[in-house]
Amino acid sequence: MKQRAFWSVAVAATLALAGCGSATGTDSSNSTSGKLVVWDWKSGDKTATAYVAKAKADFVKKHPGVTVEFVAQPFDQYYTLLGAAIQAGKGPDVMMFNGGGQIRDRVDALVPLDGFVAPDQQRLTGWDAFAKDGKTYGAPVTLQGYPVYFNKTLYKTAGLDPQRPATTWDGFTADCATITKATKASCFALGNKEGIGIQFFLSAFGSGILTPQEYDSWIAGQRDWTSPHVKQVFQLWKDVNDRGLNSKGGNSTTLFTDAFGIFQSGKAVNIIGLMSDIGHWKDFNEFLGPDNVGVMKSPVIAAGATPSLPFDGGIGYAVAKWTKDPALAADLVRSLTSTEALTAFYADAGAVVSDTTVQTSSGGAAISAIVADLKTGKPALHVALSSKTIELMGRLSQQILEGTVSVDDALKQLGESDRS
Amino acid sequence: MAPAVLVIVLFRLWPLLLGVNFSLTGDGDRNGVVVGLDNYVELFADPLFLGALRNVGWLVLLLPVAVAIPGILATFIYLRVPGHRFYRSVYFFPAVLSPVIVGSIFNLLLSFGGPLNRLLDVLGIGPVDWLGDSHVAMFTVVGVHIWATFGMALVVFLSGFATLDPALLDAARSDGATLPQVIRHVIVPGLSRTIQFVFVTTMIGMLTSMFGLIYVMTSGGPGGSTYLPEYYIWIQQGQMNRPAYASAASTVLFLVMLVVGLAQVSILRRTGRED
Repeated sequence: MKQRAFWSVAVAATLALAGCGSATGTDSSNSTSGKLVVWDWKSGDKTATAYVAKAKADFVKKHPGVTVEFVAQPFDQYYTLLGAAIQAGKGPDVMMFNGGGQIRDRVDALVPLDGFVAPDQQRLTGWDAFAKDGKTYGAPVTLQGYPVYFNKTLYKTAGLDPQRPATTWDGFTADCATITKATKASCFALGNKEGIGIQFFLSAFGSGILTPQEYDSWIAGQRDWTSPHVKQVFQLWKDVNDRGLNSKGGNSTTLFTDAFGIFQSGKAVNIIGLMSDIGHWKDFNEFLGPDNVGVMKSPVIAAGATPSLPFDGGIGYAVAKWTKDPALAADLVRSLTSTEALTAFYADAGAVVSDTTVQTSSGGAAISAIVADLKTGKPALHVALSSKTIELMGRLSQQILEGTVSVDDALKQLGESDRS
Repeated sequence: MAPAVLVIVLFRLWPLLLGVNFSLTGDGDRNGVVVGLDNYVELFADPLFLGALRNVGWLVLLLPVAVAIPGILATFIYLRVPGHRFYRSVYFFPAVLSPVIVGSIFNLLLSFGGPLNRLLDVLGIGPVDWLGDSHVAMFTVVGVHIWATFGMALVVFLSGFATLDPALLDAARSDGATLPQVIRHVIVPGLSRTIQFVFVTTMIGMLTSMFGLIYVMTSGGPGGSTYLPEYYIWIQQGQMNRPAYASAASTVLFLVMLVVGLAQVSILRRTGRED
C-alpha cells in the first residue's frame, strides 16, 4: 500500500514537472542562452520540415546559446489550448496565429512587434491581418486568399475556351449551364458544414458586387449591413443554391475536405479555394494536372464593381506578453519569416508566402495568375469580421440555404452582432 | 475521514467554487472585472444556448426509446431466438468503438451522396439530408448514439435476466400466455430494478458523452440545431475566447445535471425500498 502511494506521488510529481517544463522554461535573462518554446499547428507537417529547419538555423546563427522547441498542437484544439495558456498567464514564448479575428481577439496577451520587425516591413506583405489599432502583433508567414478555381478539362469537354472564362455573372452562369449539360458536373462544389462556405463566398464574390468605396469602407470598419449591395451578396448565396448550381447537400458537406474532393474528382466546375495551406493550387494541380487548373477573380455581378483578388496575411507568428526577453522572441519571429525559410515553405507546402521576393514562376499557370493578382488584391471581406460575427454568419448561412431564415432577418442579426 | 474530506474540498468543491466565481467576471476588455450576473443574463437571451437546453429536453424524451431497444433485443436473446449467440456479440461490438470512429463511419454512410441515400434512391424514396437538415440532424445523431452504446445496456439486461426465475416463464407458457403477455406480466415486473438502472445509466451517457459525435458528425449544425450545452461551452471557450462566459454556461449545465442526478437518486432509492 505504502509503495503504491509512493508511486502515485512520484507519477503526479513527474507529470507536474513535465507540464511546467513544456509550457514555460524560458530562461533568457541574457540573450545568448536559454530556451524559447513555439506553439503552432504546422511544424509537425512533413511539408513544413524544411521550413522549420531553415528558420531554426537562421536563429541559431544569431543566438548560438538559445535552444528553440517547436510544439505542434492539433489545429482543432489550438485556440482552446492557447486560451488556457493565456488565462494562466504562462505558456509558449512565440505562437502561431491565423490573421484577422483570431489574433485581434487576443492582442491583450501579445507584445507589439512594430519596433522589432521594422526591417521586414517592406519585404513582407499581409501585415494588416496581424494589426489592431495601428499596432502590429504578428509577422505574416503566408498569404491567404480566396480565388475561384475552375476545371479547364470540363470547359474543353463542353466546347468552351478555358483561357477566357466569363467576366460577367450572366456569362459565368451560362457557361456553367453549358458545362453541366455536357458533363453533369455542378457549377460549384459547396461545403458549408462548418459554416465556412459563406465566408469564402462573401469574400470571393463581394468584390464583384460592392463598389470599391463600399469595399474599402467595409474593411475600414464602416459596414452597412442594410445596403442593397450587401443584401445582394447574401441573396446571391441563396439564389445560387435555389437554382441548383451547388453540389447537393452543402450543409452536410465539409469544405475540408469533402467539397475539395468533389472539385478534384471533376464533379464540379468551380470551387472557391484557398491560396495556402490546403485546398489550393498545388493540391488541385496534383489531381487535375497543372495545365487543367484555372483560376479567376469574381465576375462582375453588379455594375460599378471592380473585381479583385481577396487576400490577407494567412498565418503568422506572434510573441507572448509573458516571455522574458521580447527582443529575443521577436528575433525568432524574424527568422521564421526569413526569405530562405519562406522559400522552403513555398517549395514544399505550396503556400503563397508573405515574402514577395520568393520566386514562384515554376509552379504552373494557376500560381502565376494568383501572384499576378496580388498587386491589385484587397483584404478579404470576412476576415474583417469578429469571430463572433463569423460564427453567427456560418449558422445563418445554413439556415438561409434551408429556408428557415430570410436574407433580411439574417442581415439584421449580423448587423447587430457586428455593432456589439 | 479528514484526508478524504480534504481531497474532496481541494479537488472538487474548491475548483467548482472558483468556476462559479469566475463566471461572475467579464471577458476581453472586462477581463477580471466583476460583472455580476451579466453573463447569465446574456446566456439566457442567446437563442443558441436555449436551443442547446431544448436539445437536452429532447434527449430526455428519447430516453425510453434508448432503453426499449436493448431491452427488447435482450428479451429475444434470452428467449433463445435462432442465432442468439451471434447476435449477442454483434450487438455489443459498437460499444467498444470510440465516438470519433463511430461518427466518421456514419458520416460516410449518411452523407448526401452516400450508400444509404443511394439505397433510398433505388427504392424510389427521395434522398434525405441526414446531417444537413435541421429537422432531422438531432434525431440522426441521437440514433447513432443509441446504436453505438446500447450494447452495454444489453449486457446489463442479460445479467438481469439471469436473476429471473425460469419457473415463472414456464408457468406463464403452460397457462397459454402469448409473447406480449409474457413480456408485460412476467419479464417487465421481474426486471424492474434492472430497467431503472439502465434508465439512469443511459441518461447519464446521453447527457455526458454526445460531444464526440456532435463534433464529428454535425459541428453543432445546421444552423445550430444540434448544439448541446457541452458543445456550446467548448465553442465559447475555444473559438470565441470567452472563458468567463463559458464558465457561466458550465455552471448552468452543472445545475441541470444536479437536478437530473438528484431525480435519478430518488428513483433508485424508491426502487430499493419497494424491494
